[in-house]
Amino acid sequence: MSLLTTRTASLIFAACVIVGAIVHSSTPAEAAKIIALKSADVDVYNEALEGFKSVLQESAIVEYDMEGDLQKGKKFLARLKSGPRPDLILAVGIWALQVVLEEIQDIPVVFAMVLNPTAVIRQEVRNVTGASMNVPNEQQIALLKKVSPQVRRIGVIYDPSQTGFLVKQAERIAKDQGLRLVTKAITSPKDSFAAIDAMQDEIDALWILPDLTVLAPESVQYMLLFSFRHKIPVLGLSENQARMGTLLSLSFESGWDIGSQAAELANGILSGRSVEEIPFTTARKVRLTVNLKTAGKLGVHIPKELLDRAAVVIR
Amino acid sequence: MTSRLRATTAVLLILWIGWFARSAEATDLKNTIRNLYGIQGIHVEPSPFFPVETSFQASSLQGLDGLNSQLTSAIGVPSFNSSVTGFTFDIERGIPVRTTESLGPMLTERATTMGISKLNVAGTYTRVSFTRLDGKNLNNLQLTFHRNDVNEGCDPSIPQSLARCDTIRARLKVDLSEDIFAFIATYGLTSVWDVGLVVPLTHIRLFAKASAGIFHVDTLGVTKPGTTQIGNLPIHQFGPNSTPPDASGGGEETGLGDIILRTKYNFLRNSGGLTPDLAFLFEVKLPTGDAKRLLGTGGTNLAGLLIASKTYGRWLTPHVNVGYEINTKELEQNTIRYALGFDARLLSGLSFDADVIGRQKPEGNGTGDHTVDLSLGVKWNPLNSLIFRANVQIPLDKNSGLRADFIPTIGVEYLF
Repeated sequence: MSLLTTRTASLIFAACVIVGAIVHSSTPAEAAKIIALKSADVDVYNEALEGFKSVLQESAIVEYDMEGDLQKGKKFLARLKSGPRPDLILAVGIWALQVVLEEIQDIPVVFAMVLNPTAVIRQEVRNVTGASMNVPNEQQIALLKKVSPQVRRIGVIYDPSQTGFLVKQAERIAKDQGLRLVTKAITSPKDSFAAIDAMQDEIDALWILPDLTVLAPESVQYMLLFSFRHKIPVLGLSENQARMGTLLSLSFESGWDIGSQAAELANGILSGRSVEEIPFTTARKVRLTVNLKTAGKLGVHIPKELLDRAAVVIR
Repeated sequence: MTSRLRATTAVLLILWIGWFARSAEATDLKNTIRNLYGIQGIHVEPSPFFPVETSFQASSLQGLDGLNSQLTSAIGVPSFNSSVTGFTFDIERGIPVRTTESLGPMLTERATTMGISKLNVAGTYTRVSFTRLDGKNLNNLQLTFHRNDVNEGCDPSIPQSLARCDTIRARLKVDLSEDIFAFIATYGLTSVWDVGLVVPLTHIRLFAKASAGIFHVDTLGVTKPGTTQIGNLPIHQFGPNSTPPDASGGGEETGLGDIILRTKYNFLRNSGGLTPDLAFLFEVKLPTGDAKRLLGTGGTNLAGLLIASKTYGRWLTPHVNVGYEINTKELEQNTIRYALGFDARLLSGLSFDADVIGRQKPEGNGTGDHTVDLSLGVKWNPLNSLIFRANVQIPLDKNSGLRADFIPTIGVEYLF
């Protein structure tokens, strides 16, 4: 069977499944009809979908995996337009959200497992809300403050087009907590080295943002080198970064929890609330990793309270 | 649709296996060389004065049987595996990352698995044209058969004993090749656990020609063609009542080979630092190929492999495989297997892999006890889930075991 035939057959079959599921679900009980579009088959997305379904057990949910292919997702949504209209679309992952934003304007959309949604959702979009995988800025700034009372100035390197909104929000939060954000804007990964060097005597801690321009492997390595040379603690984004040498890292706890958060937002929409009234959420449960080897090298004492909170302690 | 395609694939596979299993008929290609001079071995012309007719029977049977075993025990099915395709999740960037950026090695293994509910189906063709046995050219093998009583002594200074020094030398030309079409399917039961099978369809060709001559040792101790004579009477000779000195035999067989069942469990992944991804692979080779027709080994093999690999820069993945294979039929064929190599993305959708693959038989019989091959391969991913593969395996030591000059493999695979 040629690839073209396979893809055509896949689309026809998918359309039949959707129509069948929607027609089948038109029972007197009027269960909500939801299309779940998944960006790709990865564990954390599957967990998010399970978390979503665990909350919306009464709904008829039809799943579709884009398999990482944006065109496949678009074709699926194009078919969807010609069939019965679902009550809501769940977009799991950034790629699913991107195709939904392009193709769907009149059906409520809830996303899950998207990082920095504000960077891809234009302000005029009115039909989209969801549960991001961002860790709340408040928690990250508070964490750095708890590491040491000496932390007064937090360094941040960012690309305004990627995480400008996060930095603006973080500046306000830091000010409220009596701290100062020292920011360096860059537009290219190669600018990050000079930006890091420029902060040498200006900061007490460094915070790595979920910013694609900043996250080039060489840049992260340079931040770690900077951290050890100048004994500056770094807050990273993942357990992997903590294992590489950041003092701390804070990430979302599980896909399942983000999925269930998305389901709660979907529940509100299905109950009649306007999508515009429902703001994006950040991860409500977070996972802390502490690297005590790094703490030793930096001469930082980690308070017991943080060690007790940590899901992973690297010794 | 994907489920339907998977089901169709499974049905086709079952039909395919059934068709070839049905076609099995018992012939004895395996004993082609042993039986070259008939099941009685070499008989020389009867002599009216000396009982020499069966003097070389035992030695010829033993020699031909040894060569037969050396050849047939070394024929095997090459290794196969599936590409590692799919996605892993990059938590820092918040995006799935294609694991097909380097498409994986062809004959060895990486620790990572395919992903839950993924089905990878591949078809490969391998040509193995054997040219050497323990370094000797298969077109010019030589066996020497001695008289039964050679141990009683054949001192050139004692003319009466010289006939015991006569030998028969047989020159053999062996044409041995395999064409293997393999159907390979791998399914991701969970995100870290794959199961799979390899169904080989083998066409094997074995033809042998032998030409025997009698040699004697003269009184100076020099070996020369012809037999010892007492007066004008030759002691050993071929004639109308002896086994013909020239013989040939062989044939071709096609059928189902030994089916391999395999499972891989990736128990350590993305642990950071220098720690590699780790997996354990368990493999069972079933005796589904008819051993008499040289389509299979006739025994069940069990193999366990520890696999370590780590991807650097999303384009280079070095890997190490170490394991042990138990041959439940012939324990001397038990093998330590190892491989060391890497696969690397050269261009978008084009990967190159290189491996050194070794097999060591600690209790081996001397033939191919330690073989080392270099494997070079490329994989091309022109469309999302379609991969073309080509590989060549080159022996690094041609003096050990039954060897081909090179073993080419081509194939195509698709991930559902």
